Amino acid sequence: MNTQALALTILLLPLAGGGLLAGRGWRMPRVVTQIVGPGVVWAAFAVTLYLFFTQSSGDFTYWTWIKSGSFELPFNLLVDNLSLFMCLVITGVGALIVTYSVGYMAHEDGPSYARFFTYMDVFIFSMLLLVLAGNFVFLIIGWALVGLSSYFLIGFWYQRRSAVLAARKAFVMNVIGDVGMILGAFVLFVTYHALTYRQVFGSLGTQFCGACISPSQVRHASDSGSLELAAFLLLVGAVAKSAQLPLHTWLPDAMEGPTPVSALIHAATMVTAGVYLVGRMHPIYDVAVYAHDAVAIIGAVTALFAATIAIVQTDIKRVLAYSTMSQIGYMFLAVGIGAYSAGFFHLLSHAFFKALLFMAAGNVIHAMHDEQDMRKYGGLWRQLRPTSIMFLIGCLSLVGVIPFVGFFSKEQILGAAFSRPGNLGLAVWGVGAVTALITGFYTGRMWWMSFAGKPSAERPVAHPHEAPPVMLIPVGILAVLATVGGLLQTHVLGFGTSAVSDYLDKVVTPQSWEGGAIDVVIGLTTMVLATLLFLGAYRIYVTQSWRPWTARFPRVQRTLERKYYFDELYNAVFVRSMDKLADAGYRDVEAPVLDGGLDRTGATARRAASYASLLQTGYFRNYTLVFVAGVVIVAVLLLARFAS
Amino acid sequence: MAIIGGVGVISFRQPIRSVLSLVVVMLALSVLFLLLSAQFIFVVQIIVYAGAVMVLFLFVIALLGPARESGRGRLRFQAGLSGLFVLAFFGLVFAMMQGVHFRQPETTDLNVFGTVQSIAVGLFTNYLYPFELTSILLLVAAIGAVYLSRRDDPKN
Amino acid sequence: MGTLDIGGSQMDTSWFLLLGAILFTLGTVGVLVRRNPLIILISIELMLNAVNLTLVAFSRQLQNMEGQLFALMTMTVAAAEAVVGLAILVDIFRARDLEDIDDLSELKG
Repeated sequence: MNTQALALTILLLPLAGGGLLAGRGWRMPRVVTQIVGPGVVWAAFAVTLYLFFTQSSGDFTYWTWIKSGSFELPFNLLVDNLSLFMCLVITGVGALIVTYSVGYMAHEDGPSYARFFTYMDVFIFSMLLLVLAGNFVFLIIGWALVGLSSYFLIGFWYQRRSAVLAARKAFVMNVIGDVGMILGAFVLFVTYHALTYRQVFGSLGTQFCGACISPSQVRHASDSGSLELAAFLLLVGAVAKSAQLPLHTWLPDAMEGPTPVSALIHAATMVTAGVYLVGRMHPIYDVAVYAHDAVAIIGAVTALFAATIAIVQTDIKRVLAYSTMSQIGYMFLAVGIGAYSAGFFHLLSHAFFKALLFMAAGNVIHAMHDEQDMRKYGGLWRQLRPTSIMFLIGCLSLVGVIPFVGFFSKEQILGAAFSRPGNLGLAVWGVGAVTALITGFYTGRMWWMSFAGKPSAERPVAHPHEAPPVMLIPVGILAVLATVGGLLQTHVLGFGTSAVSDYLDKVVTPQSWEGGAIDVVIGLTTMVLATLLFLGAYRIYVTQSWRPWTARFPRVQRTLERKYYFDELYNAVFVRSMDKLADAGYRDVEAPVLDGGLDRTGATARRAASYASLLQTGYFRNYTLVFVAGVVIVAVLLLARFAS
Repeated sequence: MAIIGGVGVISFRQPIRSVLSLVVVMLALSVLFLLLSAQFIFVVQIIVYAGAVMVLFLFVIALLGPARESGRGRLRFQAGLSGLFVLAFFGLVFAMMQGVHFRQPETTDLNVFGTVQSIAVGLFTNYLYPFELTSILLLVAAIGAVYLSRRDDPKN
Repeated sequence: MGTLDIGGSQMDTSWFLLLGAILFTLGTVGVLVRRNPLIILISIELMLNAVNLTLVAFSRQLQNMEGQLFALMTMTVAAAEAVVGLAILVDIFRARDLEDIDDLSELKG
C-alpha cells in the first residue's frame, strides 16, 4: 500500500473522529461515541503498526502551501524510525487510554461525554502532526494545537474555577514555549532560508540516506553562533511543553483535569514532546554544544527538584505529576548528553508505567468516589486486589526494579551518564542517582499509604468496588507491557537485546562511547538502594515505627510543600506586574485617551456649536447686515477675479 | 428731487412723513420714466404704485398709530457697520459703472417703443407665462392678506 | 457711455443708473438702520423702485422692451409683497403693541 497515503491516514483518522464527534456526537446515542472515540485511535495504531513492520519511510509532500519567490513551504510529512516510534507510543498508549476513559467518564452526561472524546481525538491528531511534520512550520502548528487541546482537556470540568485557572496557567506557559519555538524557527530561517527539515539539516551537512535523515557526520558548522541561539530558543519550547524547570509550575495544577487526561497528556505524550524535539533536532544540538549541555543540566536538576517535592504530596495524582516531571528530567538528561536512544527508550517505558500508574490511580479514585487524598486511603490491598497489583507493578517499574522495564531504561541512562567521558556526565549521573533513591522513597510512601495498613478513619467509602472491565483491561495490558517491555532492550546488562537503540540509532546520533562492566554494577547497586528506601517507607508510614523525617525538619517540609515557592515567585514577579500594567493601561491610556478622547470630541463639538449659536442673535437687522455684507464680499471677489 | 425724497424716506422719524417722502420719490421717478420713453410704465407707476400701494401704507399707519422711534436701539454697531458696507456697496456699483460698455442697441421703431401696444404685445406673446403667474401671485397675495388680517372670533 | 436721443437732446444713460444706485443705497441704509418695521417696508419699496428705474433705463438704451416688461412684473410683485407684508405686520404689531423690530428676537440662539 502506498506509504504516502497511509502516512496521511494516520493523521486524518483521529481528526475525522474528533470532527464527527464535535459536529454530531452529542446528538447521537452514546454507543456511537464509545466506538468512534477510541476506534479512530486504534485504527491509526493499526496503520502505524503496518508502516512499522513494512519498514516504510520517506519524506512526503502533499501540497505546497506557501510559494513566495524562491521560497516554498510544503505540507510534508517525514516518516522515519523516530517519527514512527513516536507514533506507536502516541497511538498505542493513546488508544488504551481513550478506551479506558469510556468507562472512567461514564458519569458525564451526553454532550459532555462526546465533548471529551472530541478533545481527546483532536489532541491525538495534534500530537501526531507534531511528530510527523516535515518542516518547522507544521511542527509549530502541531505544537500549538497540542497546547490548545491540553487547555481544553485540563479545563474540561469548566464549572470548577480551579480547573479553569489551571488550564489557563498551562496554556500561558505553553505559549511562552511557543514563542521560543517560533523565534528559534526564525533564526534558522534567517540563517538557512529554508524551513523543511531536509533543507535545514542538509545545510548543516547531514547526510541523507534516501529519504530519511541519518546521523550527522559533521560536528562543526560555520554558523555555530546562530545555531546555538536557535537551539536555546527551541529549548525554551521544549522546557515549557515538558514542564521542566523553570517553566514547570503548570504541571501539578494540570491534575485538575480528569485522570485519563493526566494519563495521556501528562505521562505519555504531550510532556514527551520536548524530548522528541531535542531528538529530532539532533543535528543542531550536536553542533550547539552549549545548548546541548544545557538540556542535560536542566533535565538533571529538574529530576532531583521534582523528586524532592514528591515526597510531601498528599494527593495521589500530584505525586504522579511530580514523578512525571522527574522522569522527563531523566529523558532530557539522556538526550542532553548524547544518549538519544536511551532517552527515547525511557520515554517508551515511562509511557507504559506512568500511564499504568495514572489509570490505576484513576481506578482507585473512581472506587473512592473521587477522593484523591492518600491520607484517607489505607488498606485498599484487600478490597481492590487487581488494581493494587497493577499499581505495584507500575511502582516497581518507576523505582527501577528488575525485571520491570523501568529498570532497564533508567539504568541505561545512568550507566551512559556515568561512563561518558568528561565531567558533565559524572555530575549528572550523581544527580540522577540520588534522584533514583528519592524516587524509591516517595514511590514506596505512595504505595504503602494507599494500599497497605489499616483503612483510614476518614475513608469516604467503606467497601469500594473494583473498576469495570473496560477500565481494568487497558490497565492490565499496560501492566503486562511494563513487565515484559524490558526485554526489548536488556543491553544495559551487558548482554541481550538492544532492539530500541538499533532501531533509533539509524536516525539519531548513536552513543559515541561504550559502557563497561562497572555500569552494570552501579546500576544494580542503585536499584538495591532504591528498593531499600521503598521498603523503608513502610516502616515510616505504615507501622509508624520510625519517626517521619518531616517531624525533624519542619522548615524543609514547608519549603517542599510550597514547591520551593516557585508559584509565589512567579506570581510576585510576573503576574503582579502584569496586573499592574493592565491596570495602568486602563487607567492611563484607555480611560483618558480612548474614553476621554471620545467624550472630549463630543464636548468640543458641543462647545463649537455653542460658539456658532452666538451668530443667531435673533435680530433682524443683524441678519440683513450680514446679507449685505455677503453681497459686497462676493462682489469684490468676483470683480477681483475678472479684473485680473 | 428724487434724491431728496429718498433721503427723506429714510430719515424721518415719523412714519407718515416717511411715506409721503416715498410718494415724492415715486412721482419723480415716474417723470423719469416718461423721459425714458416708457409711457405705460409712467402711468402705471402713478396709478398703481403711488396711488394704490402708498395709500395702503397710509391706511396702515393710520391704523397702527403714529409712532416715533426713540433712542438708539440695542445694537450699537449696527449703524456704523451698515454705513461701512453700504458705502462699500455703492463704491462697487460705481466702479462697475465706470467700465460699462453698452452693446449696440437693436433697431426698433421709436414711435412704438414703450407704448401700450408694445407692452401688450410682449405680455401676451413672449411673456405670457410670467404674466399668468403674476396674476396668480396677486390672487394669492389677496387671499393671504384677507386671511392674515382676520380677527380670531370664538364664534367663528 | 451710451447716449440717448431724447426728445431731440442727448442724454447720458449713466445718470439714470447713478440715480438708481443712489436710491438703492439709500433704501438699503433704511432697511439696516431704522427700527420701525413700517419704515423698513417702505425702504424696501424704495429699493424696488430704484431697480425699476435701472431696468427702464437699460431698456431704453438697448432699445429692448424686455426691460420695461420686467419692470412691470417687478411692480406687480412689489405690490403683492407690500400687501402681504403689511398684513403680517398689522397682525403682529396689533397683538403685541410694539414698534421696535429688535423686540422680535425669538429666533435667538
